[in-house]
Amino acid sequence: MIKVLFFGPVADRVGLRQIEVPFRDGLCWQDVRDVLQPQYPEAFALVSVTAVNGERVRDEGRMPLADGAEIVFMSRFSGG
Amino acid sequence: MSDAVRLQLEDFSQDEEVCALRASSQRMGGIATFLGCARDFSEGRDVCEIGFDAYRPMALAELQKLRAEAIERFALLDARIVHRLGTVRAGDNIVFIAAGAEHRAPALEACRWMIDELKERVPIWKKEITPTGESWVTPHP
Repeated sequence: MIKVLFFGPVADRVGLRQIEVPFRDGLCWQDVRDVLQPQYPEAFALVSVTAVNGERVRDEGRMPLADGAEIVFMSRFSGG
Repeated sequence: MSDAVRLQLEDFSQDEEVCALRASSQRMGGIATFLGCARDFSEGRDVCEIGFDAYRPMALAELQKLRAEAIERFALLDARIVHRLGTVRAGDNIVFIAAGAEHRAPALEACRWMIDELKERVPIWKKEITPTGESWVTPHP
């Protein structure tokens, strides 16, 4: 399974803090986004940062995920 | 001694953080600090409390990277960053940053750089709680 986490305003709009998506070979984070975005359009309208396994994704390059990977779709940060 | 980079629910002591910074080197000639506090107003509304949410493992890792980069970039002798999570009341402390260097200029520049970078890079979100409702803060440039 792929664990998808939500925080802050994105979590509020999704109504959940965690979702699990079935794993399959070759699955990339963009595929997970493409599955979830139509289900939670208001939440994904806020998303501007994505992290995979705690590391910020800086380009659209397609890197297959490992089973058990953690993805976080995040809005702009507002700490401090 | 407490870690130089922390995310915590409880308040912190500026004096203890500065003491810990000073204890790391006697070559320190300048220490600059930044204290971020919870305001009791925002955009014309009273604010009673501020709630913080964070992607904690990444937030801590980013803060640690940020500190290491600041030490390298500004030739600091040491630096400390503490950010509170959970809910704080108006007037409470939120974040403390301290930079120690041989001279004042790099300490001041590093302190400013660290808080600016923190706001851009560290996955923490702030929610203002007012008498009439709650709203997530939209980051300012």
